[in-house]
Amino acid sequence: MKSAFPLGPETDWQKTSTPDILRPTRMSRLARALALVGTIAVAVAAGLWSAHLALTSEDLFKPIRIGVWGAHPLAGTPEADPYSAAIYARTGRIPLANGEGVAFVASTDSSGELLSPACNYRIAGQTPTARLWTLTSADRDGRLMPTPAGRVSLSSLGLLRASDGSFEVSASRAPRPGNWLPLGTGESLSFILRLYDAPITTGATLIGLAMPEITKVSCP
Amino acid sequence: MSGRRLLVRLALYGLASLFLAGIVHIFVVLTVPGHVRAEAFARLARIGSDRQFHVLPAVAPGAEPLPMLDPEMGHALCWFRLADGPVSLSAAVNSPFWSMALFNGAGEVVYSLNNRTSGSGELAMLVLTTPQLSILRANPPENLDELIVIETDQTEGFVLLRAFIADRPSTEVISSGLKAARCDTLKPDMPASS
Repeated sequence: MKSAFPLGPETDWQKTSTPDILRPTRMSRLARALALVGTIAVAVAAGLWSAHLALTSEDLFKPIRIGVWGAHPLAGTPEADPYSAAIYARTGRIPLANGEGVAFVASTDSSGELLSPACNYRIAGQTPTARLWTLTSADRDGRLMPTPAGRVSLSSLGLLRASDGSFEVSASRAPRPGNWLPLGTGESLSFILRLYDAPITTGATLIGLAMPEITKVSCP
Repeated sequence: MSGRRLLVRLALYGLASLFLAGIVHIFVVLTVPGHVRAEAFARLARIGSDRQFHVLPAVAPGAEPLPMLDPEMGHALCWFRLADGPVSLSAAVNSPFWSMALFNGAGEVVYSLNNRTSGSGELAMLVLTTPQLSILRANPPENLDELIVIETDQTEGFVLLRAFIADRPSTEVISSGLKAARCDTLKPDMPASS
């Protein structure tokens, strides 16, 4: 730039260029419009996908966990967290109320592997104190699966136990001696352990509670 | 446009879409109950007339009356609208475990208890709105102290009875016990004076 004045400290500012980061730049209109649409599209897709994931894979949000067993004790009450509320509403299920009991669901075995109805499992150990409990086999959405035996559950009252009160249940498609929990013909599997009239629903501590272990015995 | 500037711009767009995605996610999760619950309960409401316990069919694979019910249990359900008057509930089922849960119209638990809570073998409950309770207080029924009184601001709701079926032969006994449970309108006695 040609200056009328000789260059010196007073005119140096004319030569100083704005730093790159401060100089305003604009994208073309088309680029801006595309970027805006793209941002919103990505956001909506990601939001819907993550919500779907959160509401279909129930394992993500289980307020109470003992081993592989998880429960939503507040689900179905006005104090439920939004995820439990949405999951219960979506599946239209009627929750077990606090004065009745609590339902624990396991969809993996104790080594963390997803349960499969084609495999044989051993469910053994102790349960927290409860007046009555029932163990049910269902698919991962909680739907019951037809079994040749005609039943999909067993209860603590009709159970064979060891002398120390522990029990062992064999879950398989083929009949087993002892406590047999029949498995159905389906794609996925989960076990539901419902504890009725259990102190843990009325504020007793969860520390030190033992739930049964689920061990895979064999897989065809 | 330098490469670094482009990177900054991309990162900002990414951040913006992340925030937006969060908003969409929260919005979806919060609106799901309102949208889909009505559907599930419409099916429930078609079960029969109000103020009468209807025994649900046995929970069997492929024929579950409602999702996630315990196949080891028998169930009975009674709908009511409080505008039609206070509801008086009583049940006595011959089962080692049975329970009663009161739900509001949105399917949320309002109150629940089981046969051990009551001490005796029978559960009795009175559900009413605040105005109905004040009317009742002016002229209490004789057995009011034996009832569990539940005051609610809900206009409608239902009661679910569950009873454990220990073995197949007792199915009949339990379902007749469930059917015999009462879900009546409390008859308001006429004021004695006037």
